Amino acid sequence: MTRAFVFTNHKGGVGKSTSATNIALGMVNVLRRAGSANPRVLIIDTDSQGHASLVTTGRKDYGADDSLYTVLMADRANAPQTLMNCIVQSQWDADLHVLPASPMLEGAERELMGVAGAPYRLADPLSKVANQYAAIIIDTRPSFSLMTEMGLLAATDAIVPVEPRYLETVGLTSVIQKINDIREGWRHPNLRVSGLLVTKMDTRVRGHNHLLAELKAHPVLGKLLLGVIPQNEAVSYAHRDHQSLFTYDPRASASKAYVQVVASLVRYLSQAGA
Amino acid sequence: MARPNNGNTSRMDDLLASVTSDLLTDTPQAFADNAIRVERILLEMVRPDPVQPRRVLPEHIHVAFHNNRATPTQALRELVQTVQIAARQRGRPFNNVLELLPNADDEREEETTTALSPEETLLRDLVNLAMTIRDDGQVNPLTVVDVSQGVTRLFRIETGERRYWATWLLRDFIPGYTGDGMIPCIVIPAARSSVFRQAKENTARSGLTAVALARQAALLLLTVHGYEIPAYAVGNDFFRQALDLDLRAKREYTELVLSAMGGIKKAQFSLIKSLLSLSDEALELADRHGIEEYKLRYVVATPSEYHAEVVRQIIDFNLSAKQIRELCQGESFDEAVSSDADKLSPAALKMAKVTQTIHATTPQELARALMQQEGDAAVARARLQAMRKLLGETERYLSSD
Repeated sequence: MTRAFVFTNHKGGVGKSTSATNIALGMVNVLRRAGSANPRVLIIDTDSQGHASLVTTGRKDYGADDSLYTVLMADRANAPQTLMNCIVQSQWDADLHVLPASPMLEGAERELMGVAGAPYRLADPLSKVANQYAAIIIDTRPSFSLMTEMGLLAATDAIVPVEPRYLETVGLTSVIQKINDIREGWRHPNLRVSGLLVTKMDTRVRGHNHLLAELKAHPVLGKLLLGVIPQNEAVSYAHRDHQSLFTYDPRASASKAYVQVVASLVRYLSQAGA
Repeated sequence: MARPNNGNTSRMDDLLASVTSDLLTDTPQAFADNAIRVERILLEMVRPDPVQPRRVLPEHIHVAFHNNRATPTQALRELVQTVQIAARQRGRPFNNVLELLPNADDEREEETTTALSPEETLLRDLVNLAMTIRDDGQVNPLTVVDVSQGVTRLFRIETGERRYWATWLLRDFIPGYTGDGMIPCIVIPAARSSVFRQAKENTARSGLTAVALARQAALLLLTVHGYEIPAYAVGNDFFRQALDLDLRAKREYTELVLSAMGGIKKAQFSLIKSLLSLSDEALELADRHGIEEYKLRYVVATPSEYHAEVVRQIIDFNLSAKQIRELCQGESFDEAVSSDADKLSPAALKMAKVTQTIHATTPQELARALMQQEGDAAVARARLQAMRKLLGETERYLSSD
């Protein structure tokens, strides 16, 4: 079964899109170097802001005919084919594919709100094409909306990026609770919280160190700690140039930290039989 | 000024202590797919049956909901707003749905109850049911059919649609809901879903309207004749296909169908089915107001353009079956009825009284009054046409007398 990792947190600016895109590219490269027959990774951008689509494909003008919106509005029978038609190759790597977001996704939420089975509109077609990829990475919007529910229902593993600040950590508990509610309520037993990713870590800030220590010491959350990504200006510059962090500055501290995370996830994929 | 204690970690400890391994590692129950089971299911995963003959919501809301133009909350909000308008017109405005519940201290309760519109009665009953669920819990599970496809999990209600709407009402409109958005359901695998069981459940209940029974009869007939029952909202024309079908061609199902319809006779089944030839508007009115089959059978015999008007007259003047027969067939009343003035309906007496005051008004005034009453010139004209017909019949009766 192809693992689908959803990066979610209802707090904005915690590094969901940055982490999703760079980890996806990292996975492609590690899988390729490991000699995997299928190193392809698919990014699904469910955030109507389309940041992940923009940095990986250089475009943000996707619309009614070539984006996730198209898939969500397609007939159930045609949805898998529509999904395949809407997937584009990223500019970063030929094996990194993107199902781009569109600003129209805002409207899709309103249009689909009363539709029976609406939260499965992504999971259903994705389940039919997932085996063409080694892994799927889903980027979500910073809220718990229908679109985020769709992302969670299409995923097998939730990764929660979190900044090491008090309020963000407060939010972490509600994120985990929400994921749990989705798993129980929508009958999706395969979904689990697989990792916490501490982002924008500044070791010079005492509060950051303290909270990281608290998380590490926690009996449950400590085991989920997937990695710590340091605060790094290279991230902003890479975004500006529509480049991956690894391409922009492979020696940047954030690049090195993401490599560690990618290694953990690929190890996890191999253990899971991918 | 005291500085915040940055070293105080007790808040964080409390917070993190709330995260337990249960939240992360427990796998929800796994179920066998081929057995009937009781489960707690998220309300959003449950949908009413769009072709259920017994309608809970008014027709226009039912259609909007099943055509995905309204969420359950929006459908209920539409119902509440409809009832608010009706209630305001009747001089008892309300802001909160809880105000619809009977008040033990209100001495006018009896007279108020008699004047409730069908929508008011529906909403009041739903609120009442919601309060029972809030106070005592959902004791009686819904019966749902597992209609999941692929990874899409969905359950269609076979019985218990009123409890479904009451739970939504409780969740979104009534304060004090402490549930988790789940509803207990008996889950039936799709292969074991049965239109006959649903029919039996429906006919076993009191309050099933004649129109709902007619739809039920049609659904059974269409099923035994091999028609595909759609999974989306259908109009009356779908049910009307049954007007061309009968049980003679499917004798092996006759007993089963009649039994599912509550053990009725073939002749009665035929009468019930024939109600589907009523016009759409007449069907909706008759369904909303729960008009009985023995009253509607006379309306069926009239041209379809009169159906809605006659049904409206039945509602407005609370006509008896005999009066309806007279109205529809143009025959005289039975002597026993006409000779005894005490047995005349208040509506007939009221209309007789009106004939004495005919010079007290002008055509213009009457036209304005009709417009004020009906709000639409076409409806006002229809009223006058119906009255003209009634007066013609009355005159004929008087001259033959």
